[in-house]
Amino acid sequence: MPAERRFGMDHEHYDWSPISKRGILRWPDNARVAVCVIVDLDHPEWQPPEDSFTTPFAGGLSARSFPDYARLGHREYGHRVGIFRVLDVLEKHGIKPTVAIDAMTAENYPYLVQHCLDRGAEIIGHGVALTRMITSNMTEEAERAYIAQSVDALTSATGSAPAGWLGPEYGESSRTPQLLSQAGIRYVCDWVNDEQPYPLKSPHGEIFALPVMSELDDVVALWDRRVNIGRYQQLIEDGFDVLYQDGQQNGRLLALNLHPWLIGQPFRIGYLDRALSHIMRREGVWAASGSEIVDWYRNNPPTA
Amino acid sequence: MPLPPDRVDYSPIIDRPPIKWPNGARVALWIAPNVEHYEYEPEFDGHRDPWPRTPYPDVQAYSYRDYGNRVGFWRMLEVLDKHNIRCCVSLNMAVLEHFPEVGEAMMQRDYDFMSHGIYNTRYLNTYTEEQEREFYRDTIDTLKRHTGKQLKGMLGPAISGTERTPDLMAEAGLIYHTDWMHDDQPVPIKVKSGKLVSVPYSIELNDAPLFRQHYEGDYFAEICKAQFDQLYQEGAESGRVMCIALHPYLTGQPHRAKYLDEILGYIMSHDGVWQTTADDIADYYIANYYDQAVDHASRING
Repeated sequence: MPAERRFGMDHEHYDWSPISKRGILRWPDNARVAVCVIVDLDHPEWQPPEDSFTTPFAGGLSARSFPDYARLGHREYGHRVGIFRVLDVLEKHGIKPTVAIDAMTAENYPYLVQHCLDRGAEIIGHGVALTRMITSNMTEEAERAYIAQSVDALTSATGSAPAGWLGPEYGESSRTPQLLSQAGIRYVCDWVNDEQPYPLKSPHGEIFALPVMSELDDVVALWDRRVNIGRYQQLIEDGFDVLYQDGQQNGRLLALNLHPWLIGQPFRIGYLDRALSHIMRREGVWAASGSEIVDWYRNNPPTA
Repeated sequence: MPLPPDRVDYSPIIDRPPIKWPNGARVALWIAPNVEHYEYEPEFDGHRDPWPRTPYPDVQAYSYRDYGNRVGFWRMLEVLDKHNIRCCVSLNMAVLEHFPEVGEAMMQRDYDFMSHGIYNTRYLNTYTEEQEREFYRDTIDTLKRHTGKQLKGMLGPAISGTERTPDLMAEAGLIYHTDWMHDDQPVPIKVKSGKLVSVPYSIELNDAPLFRQHYEGDYFAEICKAQFDQLYQEGAESGRVMCIALHPYLTGQPHRAKYLDEILGYIMSHDGVWQTTADDIADYYIANYYDQAVDHASRING
């Protein structure tokens, strides 16, 4: 539906709120920046169903004719090798990982799910498969079933229901936040529009946006834009420095979304390590998982 | 005709009456932040797809741009204020209706506004003549109602237009069009009635096309400074126009804002810079050079 020309947003998911006019958000111990690192475990299907949808470049390489070993293999590298490097770096810097796992990964890689749990990760919903984005092509019933399939797969693999959600390739229909809250999800990372969490609207209960820094998503920067890896380290460090400065006045969030098939490559991982060193050696930085940040925000909302 | 569709006489820059800017300035510098709103579920006009990545909505693309109004705009303002820049905003008029705080912040700073259409997801290309006439009425009225200002110019919404656009702009009383980008000085554009000029905008010194590629803020600073150096040198003979086009969702990112600071610090440290707006450039050019330029071009083209 085209926008109506009136005050506020052109949809019903959240209120218009310019950051300069908000109350003050304080993090635990008066930290200036809350740091959340989301790690995506995406499963690309050998042959996705015909009615599924994905972006042309999802999976790293442009589409080739079936069978595309390289496209699948490139992603699979993340599950076999890259993830362990990424988790090691996060552990080194005392950052509890927030791992987004899709249903097909949860069902087919029990070792990996258990490993993430053993490393203290929070597991969040990540759809069914990389090759099955949520879009408005889905009926409401199909989308509800899709979300249930994802939540159920994680619940059986981990023993508890996920609190958070990141859609494959940030995909949503115009109903997604409400259907997620109906399925018990309490926060969503698809909306890349802010430097603080904020409430989403749903008739089914409380749900929050935990916005990722889109430009610092490794797929956006390294794969789509082809920023070189040294510059990527600098983007993270420079971005953090400004958030750290601005966070003195009003707490900021730095949510990184990383993909082990990409950032976990041997030549790249050191740059992530150095960027996180730059961040974590400062005082006033609170590294936390998605639900820890959202819970804090919920219990300590910004005050005038 | 050198440049179809016979809107512009050819006039080589090496053979023109020289332009003298106010106070002998060499370069007229205008800063054009594109303050925009992209619709969540726009209507596809059958030609240009606002969100080609997925069926609508594309939450990733939408919210990336929404970041501009929620966060990036305010960080960008801090840098512009530090250098006392008076912008000429390329404005999607609906921003004044959806996000009044953004409008108020710009009015407090006495910015000028050129139209950038209503939304950045509504393009002119398929408009009928009457729809386009109504579009100009709407943009003029909306700006007047919210800011008290008279609209003078346009960068087409998402740089779109029709073959009729210059005529209909002039008929509606607008005096400049910035979609042409074919010169380092203003240029008369032929229209059926009234006077219309092109004021140089930039698709090169522009954060949007640049940061879709692998370039980053340091490169933006490098090319803006190099552009300024060259125009400053040439401007000693005949005044030049330099435009820097910005988007709050890009330049307002935490890792980028400092490069805008670097660019403005460098340029504004020079004497002989007229930091102005496209409104004022167009007024000044029409008052002082338009007739001369038309006469000169008609001689060149025999």
